[in-house]
Amino acid sequence: MQEAMFNSAYFSCIATDESGVIQVFNVGAERMLGYAAADVVNKVTPADMSDPQELIARAAALSLEFATPIKPGFEALVFKASRGIEDIYQLTKIRKDGIRFPAVVSVTALRDHRDAIIGFLLIGTDNTARLQAEEALRDAGALRNAILTSSSFSCIATDANGVIQIFNVGAERMLGYAAAEVVNKITPADISDPQELIARAAALSQEFGAPIKPGFEALVFKASRGIQDIYELTKIRKDGSRFPAVVSVTSLRDAKNTIIGYLLIGTDNTVRGQAEFARIERNNHDLAALNEELRTFSYSVSHDLRGPLRALDGFSLVLLEDYGDKLDHDGKDALERIRAASQRMGALIDDMLRLSQVTRAELHVTGVDLSAIAREIADELQRNSPGRSVEWAIEAGLSIRADRALIRIAMQNLLLNAWKFTGKVDRPVIRVGALERDASTTYFVADNGVGFDMAHASSLFGAFQRLHHMDEFPGTGIGLAIVQRIVRRHDGKAWAEAKIGEGATFFFNVKESKGGSHEQDHPAR
Amino acid sequence: MSKTILLVEDNPDDAALTLRAFKRNSMLNPIVVARDGIEALDFLFARGTFAERSGKPPPTLIILDLKLPKLDGLGVLKAIRADERTKLIPVVILTSSKEEQDLIQSYSLGANSYVRKPVDFAEFQEAVKLLGIYWLMTNQPAPERTTS
Repeated sequence: MQEAMFNSAYFSCIATDESGVIQVFNVGAERMLGYAAADVVNKVTPADMSDPQELIARAAALSLEFATPIKPGFEALVFKASRGIEDIYQLTKIRKDGIRFPAVVSVTALRDHRDAIIGFLLIGTDNTARLQAEEALRDAGALRNAILTSSSFSCIATDANGVIQIFNVGAERMLGYAAAEVVNKITPADISDPQELIARAAALSQEFGAPIKPGFEALVFKASRGIQDIYELTKIRKDGSRFPAVVSVTSLRDAKNTIIGYLLIGTDNTVRGQAEFARIERNNHDLAALNEELRTFSYSVSHDLRGPLRALDGFSLVLLEDYGDKLDHDGKDALERIRAASQRMGALIDDMLRLSQVTRAELHVTGVDLSAIAREIADELQRNSPGRSVEWAIEAGLSIRADRALIRIAMQNLLLNAWKFTGKVDRPVIRVGALERDASTTYFVADNGVGFDMAHASSLFGAFQRLHHMDEFPGTGIGLAIVQRIVRRHDGKAWAEAKIGEGATFFFNVKESKGGSHEQDHPAR
Repeated sequence: MSKTILLVEDNPDDAALTLRAFKRNSMLNPIVVARDGIEALDFLFARGTFAERSGKPPPTLIILDLKLPKLDGLGVLKAIRADERTKLIPVVILTSSKEEQDLIQSYSLGANSYVRKPVDFAEFQEAVKLLGIYWLMTNQPAPERTTS
């Protein structure tokens, strides 16, 4: 046993004579202090391998305590033991290589049979690991404490039934309750918006196919299933005011993995919500500014760009009328071309304005009889070209929820297109109808006209894009761009299928679900 | 008695073409051209360069462009309708714009007619002809009143 003690490497065992000179220096001491026994035995005292400053401080303290001058050397290390007082203290030891470490030293006086001190036994342990562990514990404790006392987020722990057990400072500040008012009294569900709880419970019941009650269960159901859960919820303060919170829920489990409670950490989302709101406001403002700019632009186009064209056309006509007899055929032809080009540019400007008006127009969505609109337009086209005979197949009872004026413009463009591109076929047929696709209605206008190569389909809906020669089929190429804009204003899509020589079909749909809520839809409002 | 027309038009090309259209349609009424809104009101209220007009009868018809320097057409229209001396004179808006807002505002402020200038001058001449026939020949103006 004694042997084992002396040979232990885990603690140092140093014995000195009565003046402090080291007599025994065990393996543990060698390992701990880096000296070989031979280096120190009969040569130095333990004070020589202790921090001198600490020795001075210790001597001063002891001198004061015992009201007798004690030297800051070996005496300071063993004074108490020499008085028969049990002495365990902490001291910084200095290794042979100069490195310091904290040691806990226990000192005992060794006495002969007459009780005279013949030496001292100093047993030391390296305290580094313990100190580190303590420090870590202290840090962790501080961290835990900081978490619990932080006022920037709420930290609420409940038991398995949801009854609040911990309600930190942040929760107090955020919710206006003192911990004492809620701990062991209510659940977090009692301070949440009841409507949102009902909605949340309903959504979860559906998601998990199990009835979930619109109370605390709705708040922690996912967490209880081990699913990470972060959600937004309106919390209600003691004074009744509400605020949006982002809540993160974790289940707390014991060693057997049984749920013993829940931890709900919440942050006040008001500021973020406000920032979001401000961002949306700003975007709306920018959009309104952009819209205003567009309005100013088109106003200017409308007023200013057409003026010079009128002069070109007008004065060309003046020349033709007043000086026609002085011009030969080529001269008159040149003037006619100037007039034709001016008028064409006038038409382009008008189309551009129509396109921008379609973009800016306010939507008033109602139920619209699409069949009636199609028939009206067909009659109009037929009246304006009595020489043409076209077979119209307009499905009866087509209805659509859209802005009446805009959808009429779209249909007008589609039907005019069909009318135009069937101009050179023997038995022109134009069909208007609807298909049910994926539980939504797709409307179509189909013709058996010249069609087009699907390779060009992507440019079909671009403004001023034309797939045919001007002298074959006149037009500015704005019609389908307008159709596209109108359909997009209705959150819908427009597309086409065609084959050269076999005709084209134009499809479109509009977003159906929104119903009347569409009526406020306007980019700048 | 010759029925004077006040043409408020800042673009000299448009003014020349409008005058030509009247002439070619054999409407030989005297036409006074004002090149901005202020000039138009000076003429109507016999002010500034038109001070010598004091006491003379007002024009039978005012043809008014909307986009004008100094005071725009809507401002001129407002002033015309606000003054006892001019509030009953027919005003025809003759402009490039067919912006919905222009139409609504013009009629709201009491315009009697709104004609958009077509680019095609043949159409323009036709429009001026119809306008002249209607407002100078067909339409029965309000009786002239003596104002204090």
